[in-house]
Amino acid sequence: MAEGRPSFKQYLKKTKIWKSIYRHDFTDTPKTRLQRVFGNVFLHLQPVRVAKDAIRVTYTWGLGGISFYLFLVLVVTGILLMFYYRPASVLAYQDIKDLSFAVTLGQLLRNMHRWAAHLMVVAVIFHMVRVFLTGAYKPPREYNWVVGVLLLVMTLFLSYTGYLLPWDQLALWAVTVGAQMAANSPILGNEGPFRLPFITTSNDARFGLIGGTVIGDATLIRFYVLHCIAVPFIFSIFLCVHLWRVRKDSFSKQTGEKVDVWPHLVSREFLAALLVTVILFAWSLLMNAPLEAEANLNVTPNPSKAPWYFVGLQELLVYFDPWIAGVVLPTLIIIGLVAIPYVDINPKGVGSWARMRWKRLGPLPIWYPEERPFAVSVFMLGIVMWFVLIFIGTYCRGPNWEWYWPWEEWSHRRITKFTLKDIPNVWGGLLLMSYFLLGSPIPQKVKAVLAQRAGPKAPVLASAALHLGLGILMSVALFVPLLTAADPGYPDRSRYPTLFESLGHAVNAPVMMALFQFVERAGPAAGYSLIAAIIGVLGLALGGLGMIFAKLKDRMYDELGLIKYTIVMSLLLMMMGVLAKIVLRLLFGVKYLISIPTFSFNI
Amino acid sequence: MKRVYFLVATGLLALLFLISMWQDTDREWTRTQRRFFKTLAKDERRGLTGGIKQTIVSNLRRVDRCTTCHLAIDKPQLALAEEPFTAHPGDYLQWHPIDKFGCTVCHGGQGLATESAAAHGDVKHWEEPLLRGPLVQASCRQCHGDLPAIQAQAPLLVKGRELFKAQGCYGCHTVHEFGQTVSSDLSEIGSKSYLLLHADFEMMPEPHDRIHWFMRKLKHPRMLNPGVRPEELPAGEEEVFPTTMPDFGLAEDQIQALTVYLLSLTAHDFPASYVTPAKPEREPSYALDVERGKAVFAKFGCTACHGIEGAGGRRNWNAGLGQEVPSLMYAKAYYGNDVDRLKDLIRHGRQPVPRADAQAPQPGLYMPPWKDRISEEELDALVAYLFSLADRLPAVPPGAAQADLPQPSATVEESATSAN
Repeated sequence: MAEGRPSFKQYLKKTKIWKSIYRHDFTDTPKTRLQRVFGNVFLHLQPVRVAKDAIRVTYTWGLGGISFYLFLVLVVTGILLMFYYRPASVLAYQDIKDLSFAVTLGQLLRNMHRWAAHLMVVAVIFHMVRVFLTGAYKPPREYNWVVGVLLLVMTLFLSYTGYLLPWDQLALWAVTVGAQMAANSPILGNEGPFRLPFITTSNDARFGLIGGTVIGDATLIRFYVLHCIAVPFIFSIFLCVHLWRVRKDSFSKQTGEKVDVWPHLVSREFLAALLVTVILFAWSLLMNAPLEAEANLNVTPNPSKAPWYFVGLQELLVYFDPWIAGVVLPTLIIIGLVAIPYVDINPKGVGSWARMRWKRLGPLPIWYPEERPFAVSVFMLGIVMWFVLIFIGTYCRGPNWEWYWPWEEWSHRRITKFTLKDIPNVWGGLLLMSYFLLGSPIPQKVKAVLAQRAGPKAPVLASAALHLGLGILMSVALFVPLLTAADPGYPDRSRYPTLFESLGHAVNAPVMMALFQFVERAGPAAGYSLIAAIIGVLGLALGGLGMIFAKLKDRMYDELGLIKYTIVMSLLLMMMGVLAKIVLRLLFGVKYLISIPTFSFNI
Repeated sequence: MKRVYFLVATGLLALLFLISMWQDTDREWTRTQRRFFKTLAKDERRGLTGGIKQTIVSNLRRVDRCTTCHLAIDKPQLALAEEPFTAHPGDYLQWHPIDKFGCTVCHGGQGLATESAAAHGDVKHWEEPLLRGPLVQASCRQCHGDLPAIQAQAPLLVKGRELFKAQGCYGCHTVHEFGQTVSSDLSEIGSKSYLLLHADFEMMPEPHDRIHWFMRKLKHPRMLNPGVRPEELPAGEEEVFPTTMPDFGLAEDQIQALTVYLLSLTAHDFPASYVTPAKPEREPSYALDVERGKAVFAKFGCTACHGIEGAGGRRNWNAGLGQEVPSLMYAKAYYGNDVDRLKDLIRHGRQPVPRADAQAPQPGLYMPPWKDRISEEELDALVAYLFSLADRLPAVPPGAAQADLPQPSATVEESATSAN
């Protein structure tokens, strides 16, 4: 090549084609850094410059971006899978077998799609937790939090609709569990309470979901279209809104000097995507997506479990009627999540992780979030409960949904030995009423009136009387029927050795069993006085717990006002109530606190 | 630093991609094919290609990839002695060409699979095990309704069916509309889902498949279903008796034959062009009523409960009369003067059976009603046969008093009639 003549590359760079694609050169100058971002439609999602602290890995852990990237992975692998998959009941299972055995890299493709879907559910949930803990939902980002909650719901629904497509037993019966919840929805479900007069199996909510009275080809094509077109379409629209709002509302963290997005943020995003790909790839090589026997409506696996992210709800079916566990509680969870930014008026804690600090509470050291103690504790309790329920449902439930420890081997021949008992409605109603009354505050005005009329100590005394009284009432309302009241369904249900047979017919749950054994060993006098003491102490403890939070409650009421306080307190009490019901059933053998079969109202 | 991360991650990704490509090209079947092609001379290899081979039999909804490894199955000239390169024995392929039948329709296993364990059905979640050895005879029945015609090719299947009749299985089980409903319908037992067998599988060693379940069940019925003794149960719970299926004391070859027959009772529904219908079996004619009655006794499966030639001795938990199904040797002594009562008993059955212990659960076996299945002529012949059984009783010793003879037990009779 002669000197002075431009090289081929230099020539190429001068052509119109090159220029129309790249538009700028690659030297690293402040100008090109900016040009790269706003000259590119994809990168233009991001600002040109961003606060340095906002892009620290330990601030966001890249969870939102990773969720988005996993969505892209799912779209790509999903499109490739669509080439090999026919949504018909006689073909679907065979096509999945083909993917595993004959298609080049087919098994890998399916594994990646499957594991990416699971990973995306996890990433989206953790993203939500991160946003909560860094206070990134607070004004002006309330709306985007709501959009995010909708995206979470859609992520779960996307995953759920995809679960059916392999058309194996796992898929069929997991979807059956979900569809059954639709059948149990109130008003519109054929098996739910308050059913409208014209609702039958062929026009209820379940029919709408599965497109027939039984799961079949109609369901398969319905779920296929939902999974591949309808939900991703709506998801993408909401995703655009979500990302655009992030840009408009700016990042929640604004400290630190501003740095260029190219290369600082873009390189991090790229690395995160690369890392996720590597993990996903390795996971897919090591572990195959499950595929069981071909779907068969005539034979039900025992146990049939919903997809893991819904197993928590399925586990709740044990403690509540299906329409409560499957419809009301999930709706409340979503409403609660959506309500968070509107009822949380505490402006603190935006832009940094909740600062934790050790503090003494009476004799106990507690580790608590300094700036938003109430919000963070309640939210994290909810998240932990969700995962604990999933853990129980996945690892502790065997055939007939019996309790098995994770290390125990399942047996289809095991004989049930656990007995349960309904608490009579009057007692249960008393218990529930006292429980919800525990949430009532004593507003400042009332305190002032009390202090004026009966001396300065009156408000404190009134609060103590209220809480301790309610605590004792709850304890008594729980133990008295458990120990004494005869069980109306006695010979049918409690066919096993009963406790306290001299007093009534009770159950063999751990706590009751321990009490019984104590009575047997220590003799009736000592035993019964101990039980009375336990009832008293438990009542006082419950009341005391209420008293500890009394100040907080009163302050919250004064700050939030009646409406917000009612929303917060009822959601909180319902969440804690679910936890309490789990404990009551597993440890005390309480089946239902209130049971009104006419309305299928059993809680 | 970021550059290092980037390089490492990219390197890893490239490596993983290479591993996946390598895994995909170096599959079990590619190795098998290479092994086979090495044994061939150059001119023998002409026309043969590698890759996954499959037979698509759309009539039977089957796609079989077995020939991917079983390369010489229809080419005896290339076959080796070593599996999987043997040729198909016999001239079966001449009458059942691979393009029309595929492989799995007769041999079982997973046709779609391309790995040997999965293809042979030795994996979880595949419920059509490979029918190894003579078990393959079970598949003949799917098309060949006329079993005597294939006696030479499927001796075990024919023997199994004969045994099924001879042991009186029809007395409790139904197969295709014939038989009784005391126990389960066996019409589709050969495709029974494994999900229904979990509890039984817990009581037997591996492998947990249908074939071994049949063998176990036939050999030791009570081992799979031992019941629950009262001391193992919470107080107040009714005890669960072991299965009432009698232990027939079958020999190994009988068990195999019966397994083949039971495996042949599948839910598969083949196109008519594949099926040769069964010829109606001619009812043999008998000179004597007693002989005809004996045939009737066998045909309806009375043997299973009442014992061979009515000798009794089958266990029936908690039934009156010594927890056994009654022997029929004394039919004449009981009903000799009252034939109509015996006929009514056969017509209407006896259910529930009087219990030995009124507190314990119902006995599992009972006399089912036969009135819709048995004709009057057959019933007459049967009665004649039952009365003839008394001849087999040992003769009354000369010195014995009349009182020592077995007397009809009034109480049991009464309770039985009132129960009816």
